[in-house]
Amino acid sequence: MGALTVLLQLVRRTAVFAVSLVVASVVVFAFMTVLPGDPARVALGINATEEAVAATRAAFGTDRPLVVQYLDWVSGLPSGDFGRSYVTEVDIGPQIIDRLLVTTWLVLSGMAVALLVALPLGVLAAVRHRRPSGTLISAFSQVGVAVPSFLAGILLVTVFAVRLGWLPSGGWTPPAQDPVAFLSMLVLPALALGLVQGAVLTRYVRSAVLDVLREDYLRTARSKGLTPGRALVRHGLRNAAVPVVTVLGLQLSTLLIGAVVVERVFVIPGLGSLLLDGVANRDLLLVQGVVIVLVLAVLVVNFLVDVAYTVLDPRLRRAA
Amino acid sequence: MPRSFLRPAAAVLAAALLAAGCSAGSTASSGGAPGAPDAPLRIGLTAEPANLDFTRTDGAAIPEALLVNVYEGLVQLNQQTGDIEPALAETWTVSPDGLVYDFTLREGVTFSNGEAFTADDVKFSIERVQSDAWTVSLADGMGVVAAVEVVSPTQARVTLSQPSNSWLHRMTTRIGAMFDPSGVADLANTPIGTGPYTVSEFRRGDALVLTARDDYWGEPPAIDEVVLQYFDDATAATNALLTDGIDVIGTVQAPESLARFEGDDRFQIIEGTTNGEVTLAMNNAFGPTSDPRVRRAIAMAIDHQAVLDTAWAGRGALIDTMVPPTDPWYQPLPDVTPYDPAAARALLAEAGTPTLSLRFRVANLPYAVASAQVVQSQLAAIGIETQIEPLEFPARWLEEVFTNADYDLSIVAHVEPRDIRTFGDPDYYWRYESAEVQELLAASETGTEEQQVAALQRVGRLIAEDAAADWLFLLPNLIVADADVRGLPQNRIGEALDLTALSRG
Amino acid sequence: MTAQLTPSTRAWGPPALVVGAVLVGLVVAAALLSFVWTPYDAVQIDPAARIAPPSSAHWLGTDRFGRDVLSQLLVGARTTLFVGVIAVGLAGVIGTPLGILAAMGPRWLGELLMRTSDLVLAFPALLLAIMFGAVYGPSTLTAMVAIGIATAPSFARLARSGALQVLATEYVLAARAAGRPRTAIAVRHVLPNIAGLLLVQASVSFAIAVLAEAALSFLGFGTRPPTPSWGRMLQEAQQLLYTAPELSLWPGLAIALAVLGFNLLGDGLRDRFDPRLAGRR
Repeated sequence: MGALTVLLQLVRRTAVFAVSLVVASVVVFAFMTVLPGDPARVALGINATEEAVAATRAAFGTDRPLVVQYLDWVSGLPSGDFGRSYVTEVDIGPQIIDRLLVTTWLVLSGMAVALLVALPLGVLAAVRHRRPSGTLISAFSQVGVAVPSFLAGILLVTVFAVRLGWLPSGGWTPPAQDPVAFLSMLVLPALALGLVQGAVLTRYVRSAVLDVLREDYLRTARSKGLTPGRALVRHGLRNAAVPVVTVLGLQLSTLLIGAVVVERVFVIPGLGSLLLDGVANRDLLLVQGVVIVLVLAVLVVNFLVDVAYTVLDPRLRRAA
Repeated sequence: MPRSFLRPAAAVLAAALLAAGCSAGSTASSGGAPGAPDAPLRIGLTAEPANLDFTRTDGAAIPEALLVNVYEGLVQLNQQTGDIEPALAETWTVSPDGLVYDFTLREGVTFSNGEAFTADDVKFSIERVQSDAWTVSLADGMGVVAAVEVVSPTQARVTLSQPSNSWLHRMTTRIGAMFDPSGVADLANTPIGTGPYTVSEFRRGDALVLTARDDYWGEPPAIDEVVLQYFDDATAATNALLTDGIDVIGTVQAPESLARFEGDDRFQIIEGTTNGEVTLAMNNAFGPTSDPRVRRAIAMAIDHQAVLDTAWAGRGALIDTMVPPTDPWYQPLPDVTPYDPAAARALLAEAGTPTLSLRFRVANLPYAVASAQVVQSQLAAIGIETQIEPLEFPARWLEEVFTNADYDLSIVAHVEPRDIRTFGDPDYYWRYESAEVQELLAASETGTEEQQVAALQRVGRLIAEDAAADWLFLLPNLIVADADVRGLPQNRIGEALDLTALSRG
Repeated sequence: MTAQLTPSTRAWGPPALVVGAVLVGLVVAAALLSFVWTPYDAVQIDPAARIAPPSSAHWLGTDRFGRDVLSQLLVGARTTLFVGVIAVGLAGVIGTPLGILAAMGPRWLGELLMRTSDLVLAFPALLLAIMFGAVYGPSTLTAMVAIGIATAPSFARLARSGALQVLATEYVLAARAAGRPRTAIAVRHVLPNIAGLLLVQASVSFAIAVLAEAALSFLGFGTRPPTPSWGRMLQEAQQLLYTAPELSLWPGLAIALAVLGFNLLGDGLRDRFDPRLAGRR
């Protein structure tokens, strides 16, 4: 029975997801506690007396057994409580959430640019895959993949911001405060992220559409009298969309990491720059929090895509 | 793809995200359009402060922003002349034996929380430096104070345990800042001082916003709102200035980029002096560098002009010891460890180590990493191989090099004023111990001004002759700004970036 | 993740293989050449000749330290290849046996290994490298190990699916029925048959490793100075973006061409080795 199979699959995937979350949190915590450096000593500075260090350790809670510290940290995560930084003496949670939203805007707009580039180009390249124009598009996508996103960012800034003065060279304005400034500051970073990603996606889209073009059922649809265009749109694109969406999920981690570098070039206060600041300041708790959020984001998106794929898998649906 | 599933899901997701995301992040500028008379002045800096509390956090970033602008002391430093000038203390007298300082305080001064500034606050602030509340090493500078007495609300008397020529100068640094007892509850986030500005916003990773107070005791600053923007990447700062994202680059970290601004009428370049001695530290206590001959050989192998030209585009000055030209006891010492690679090689051979391999653990800062590569090349020419290891600054460098002295060679700029006294502390990371230097430093505290100058000049020569360290160059004060910004400091010899004198047009 | 996705580029065909091989060959040649001869010592600082434009003395000019750009590019090729080889080698050595094990071993083991590999995939190479760099100090070694670990899941997944296909062939079924030990089957039948696919993955992963190293060097987490590295050359050239833009051009071009080469090589090889594409036009 199709529905039962789907349900069982969903339960399995959810269980795996939950276990992955726990293991990831243990790994991140275990790794960060290996970091040499007593946060109490770093926070107090060089002249601290031993009593002061011991007292601060007690205040921070770093003198408790590791397991207790881990459980304390993990139990706060669902409510957004990431603890209080030893270095900045500020609650980490609100910082991470704020920066996460900034990075989310960046990543989403990057993805949007990537799709805007990849969908038409990929379809075109597939439909015309035997003609020179199709080959040309494939060639461009190959070149696009080879350019690192920070290089793309530097080039964009140099040309569009500095030489031409059309757009700002960096910074960030929340959309609620000034939508126009927000958009103008988002354009170049989104392009830097999205163009490269778009090149990668173009090849997948092309491949997926090509696969679909060869499917028997498409020929059947066309033999029923639908024009090639109609057949492509009605049946082809829908089925090509499934693997493409799957790839988008896989590409999330690439986009997140691309965002780290792009944030540096464009001076955007996102998770990436928070992570780098945390490393520079030896803010172990902060780095821990940022890493777990990034890993969580990827796991969640992959899980959702997995679920979507399970629910939408044509093979399962046909079996229903 | 079944649209029935996707549409509502997508809509919900989009709505949630939009609602939350619309206020995400922070903005670079608030207020009027850039360039307008009442517009905020945006200054680009590096090294963002970890928090706003310089009583417990080392490093130059916090006092750079807050001293003089938010916090004031009894006295302040004139960055052009190096003189000590009145600030919260209108006048002061020193007893003939140099032990008693009587300060007459200004009247009508208030903290930003409304509390009046009185002699009680002087007593509170000074005693607080001596307590556990202050954990930075600079707090030692208050150790010489024996007692503080409130003679009247506007008269404070400070009695020292022994005469100190440097104490009043130290009162112009962060330890001299005046605090209000009811204003120290949350120094990391809410600094409360008597200065013309208050911190209206601190957006980590982005900017620190200072807003002028209405109730400041003195002349209100010309600029109502100053935004200090922190850049990790020097090129991003350059781009921001070029595209009118900021108005000033307060500390140029990429001197090569100045070539872009020269000859451009829209911008001005300021090149002055600082206290920042870029010092090649050599471990005096452990490893091959504990032999003075090895250290002297290293000092003689380095062509300092080449280091300056290559690492910092020739901007800056050469110094021969831990004394900048703005200190009264500055002296050139051309005869001590001059550039002489042949003699250096001979010294190494004499020390029994014609070839060496050293760990070169430097702070991961542009000037340090660049200088290290030049020094490495010059040391290789006399047979010393080095491995460069950039360490995150401040955290990793502070722990490994500064606290544990786990290094052979290191480079960092020392920006505190009058830091020659660090050579009298055998626990300081140089691990240099010289009884003569310690005696001279102690003697320089008592005695007349001429005696102080003579003693410190002797110390300067001694540490150079011992090659306790090598001084690569003195960092310049490099500022690039829009041409219409006035009042930018020519020199930076204190801990503060004085914003109070700035104006536009 | 059940979807098996490959961006096939049948449109390219043989030219991809050729162009890719040529570009990769250039990189390898540059690296090999650098062992024997470079115009100058790549780390030799020459303050008198700083930021010189291309000339007969320095064919591509010099950087801000007076170091010869061409020499740095050649030695940088060494670093690039070194990072790629170690990282990809590590990924292959870790991922392939685990993938084969997942295919040949008990089902629960296969599930566990694949879930673990999915988990590792949640830690992108750059993130791992930053974490390692924060703990042990950034260096070429931490970068390579991090990239290797992060890329291992791709090899594991590929090895597993390839192994499953090989295991289903009649030849192997017969061998198993005849009682041949598992390890022998793995080594003698599975490995050679998936070698082609692994080569394709290696090529693509190499490209990823080069990009990752460049990004890490740009952030300051990669190769330590003064060892030449294309990524760090790019980062150092940033200061001079307006006074000497060509200093950014050479390393950027080198990175892009190397990545392009490995990607094309991978695509060309895939067209030859991927059985699913066999017989398609």
